[in-house]
Amino acid sequence: MTSRTRHFFHVIAFLAAAFLYAPLGTQAQTSSAQSSTSAHGERWLHVRVISSNSKGETVRVNVPLELAEKVLPAIDHDRLHNGKVRVGCMDCDGVDVRTVFEAVRSSKDGEFVTVQSNDADVSVMKKEGMLFVHVHDKNKPKHSQVEVKVPMKVVEALLSGSKDELDIVAGLHALAGQGDVELVSVKDDESTIRVWLDSKNVTTD
Amino acid sequence: MVLLAKIALGFGATVVLAGAYTFHEGVLRVDVDETHGRGQHVHVWVPAAIVPMAMHFVPRGRMLEAEERSAKFMPLVHAVAKELQKYPEAELVEVHDGPQYVRVRTHNGNLLIDAEEPGQTVHVSCPLATIDDVSRELAALAPAS
Repeated sequence: MTSRTRHFFHVIAFLAAAFLYAPLGTQAQTSSAQSSTSAHGERWLHVRVISSNSKGETVRVNVPLELAEKVLPAIDHDRLHNGKVRVGCMDCDGVDVRTVFEAVRSSKDGEFVTVQSNDADVSVMKKEGMLFVHVHDKNKPKHSQVEVKVPMKVVEALLSGSKDELDIVAGLHALAGQGDVELVSVKDDESTIRVWLDSKNVTTD
Repeated sequence: MVLLAKIALGFGATVVLAGAYTFHEGVLRVDVDETHGRGQHVHVWVPAAIVPMAMHFVPRGRMLEAEERSAKFMPLVHAVAKELQKYPEAELVEVHDGPQYVRVRTHNGNLLIDAEEPGQTVHVSCPLATIDDVSRELAALAPAS
């Protein structure tokens, strides 16, 4: 082998090694970056449904909020257009939901609705910038509990569009600015449902 | 003899480089196994790098047909593929329903879909960059509005 051939061989070997190991390098980087806590302050929306029936159905969904914000405007289907969903009954039975919300937003913290009956207890309250809805259904064998906790800023963003629509993208954007929060919790004899927000890219429980 | 060695070296290096480049982009993989009766077994492994190239050799009529059929979903597919590339390692969906199981996740920049039910398993792995490329190629065929 001449010296020129040997030199040529070294160049080829180097190039081949660089190409071959490039994917491994990428893998190593991503592996080290992978953890339960996402790296760049990403916010993840988690949904977990665990059914207590014999089949033991389980659903786990983890969605990066930024992805949802970018993808939703690309969906043009039925009532969802450009990240906004048309809701026909924003003026429900003569009740202007937007006006009611405005009234709640501008009022001081407190419990606005309290219903106690043999069937269910319902309460709606505002506390520290959060709107809480609590429903206790007494009709089911194991009383069902529904807890909804929505930051007021999110509700405000949802209603920021025109009168008969919910701006989902704006709502998600507002949600991304919130800390870790459990948004929905439903517990009854059939299933357990949780919707929550945190910075982890996996469901840890 | 030296000339033969040079030719062999050049040929070998070209094969190595071509192979390295081809697999550098990842592999599109589809595995379908049916275990019931005379079940089918389909295993397709395609280097992702050749998919966008191969699209240029598909007859234009077929491509336009594909574009027409997928036009409604392509903006969504493109948006999802583009955004998912920012999350190379993520568990997105996991559903257990008795013996049925579906899992959608990203791993090393690939979108992985695993589905199992009695008698059938399906595993799909596709580089997100390839989905993005294909959706862009198809979108480029759409008539300008």
